[in-house]
Amino acid sequence: MMIENKRIRFPIVKGVMDMLPLSLAVLPWGILFGSIAVQRGFSWLEAQMFSAIVFGGAVQIVTVELMADNASLLTVLFTAFVISSRHFLYGLSLRDKLSPKPLRWRLGLGFLLTDELFALSGHRRSYQGKLRLIYAAAAGGSFYLAWNIWTFIGIVAGASLPDLTDLGLDFAIAATFIALVVPEIKTLPTLAAVITAAISSLIFSLWEFELGLVFAALLAMAAGFTVQQLRRPT
Amino acid sequence: MTLLTILLLACITFGTRYLFLEGRLPVRLGSNVKLFLSYSGPAVLTAITLPILFVHQHQLDTSLANPYLWGALAAIVAAYKTGNIYWTVGLGMLAFIAVGAQTF
Repeated sequence: MMIENKRIRFPIVKGVMDMLPLSLAVLPWGILFGSIAVQRGFSWLEAQMFSAIVFGGAVQIVTVELMADNASLLTVLFTAFVISSRHFLYGLSLRDKLSPKPLRWRLGLGFLLTDELFALSGHRRSYQGKLRLIYAAAAGGSFYLAWNIWTFIGIVAGASLPDLTDLGLDFAIAATFIALVVPEIKTLPTLAAVITAAISSLIFSLWEFELGLVFAALLAMAAGFTVQQLRRPT
Repeated sequence: MTLLTILLLACITFGTRYLFLEGRLPVRLGSNVKLFLSYSGPAVLTAITLPILFVHQHQLDTSLANPYLWGALAAIVAAYKTGNIYWTVGLGMLAFIAVGAQTF
């Protein structure tokens, strides 16, 4: 029993620790969301429910503004769908690994499948075996908890706190993603994908193109795929 | 009404996340699609990272006073040398804060 506990504790601790920079990095955004929601006339319960069940950073901040401005339901839902469309890419990428798993794991990990959890899913053997599933649940679950706590702080104290989004905590997200991507650049196709993603994401971002992330990722994947095909001996 | 909208929004975020994890969905991924998808990790993460580093207040910021630039360079070197997530974030943050303290 002792050994069993130790075996399970390790992936839990590692999942929480690997996610920690990302959990902390979204603090300003969680607080911002809670604070905006209350200022725009949502009740505490409604604001917290957004983070508890919608559980998406950009989606929440954008839709709360739209709803407060009395946008039509269709506009609100369509906007949420556009911002959420990148999740299809995550689901497709993890389909082979997760679709054979029992329903409770699929539902749980599917619910927790944010950008942040997808970022930690790149390992060749991710989600393989119970311990890797526990690792993912701990990583995703700790991020969920953090996001909800930050939201709660924003709801309660948002009005009296300064805007923390200029603090540069988003650099922690960038640094974590660099830590995950750089060791993966071992082949020319991957390098091509990374360079394409870098350039196209900057251009789309300057254009303020809502689907920029999805399109930059698709272009990058196409670049990687093409370089791989060209290099294949015929 | 607000509660209903929140519930519908939850269906959208969950639905987009869960859809392709459902085995009964009649989608078979061919080998070309799998190869294409194998680049999704680096592609998505890079596409999220670069705007954080270089787009501030809707403007491209490539000046040498940009602390994100130096933090990223330190993180890239640390990631390359150590391959360790904690060292990379730690050293990157250190460079980011050091340069940020100079420029603010």
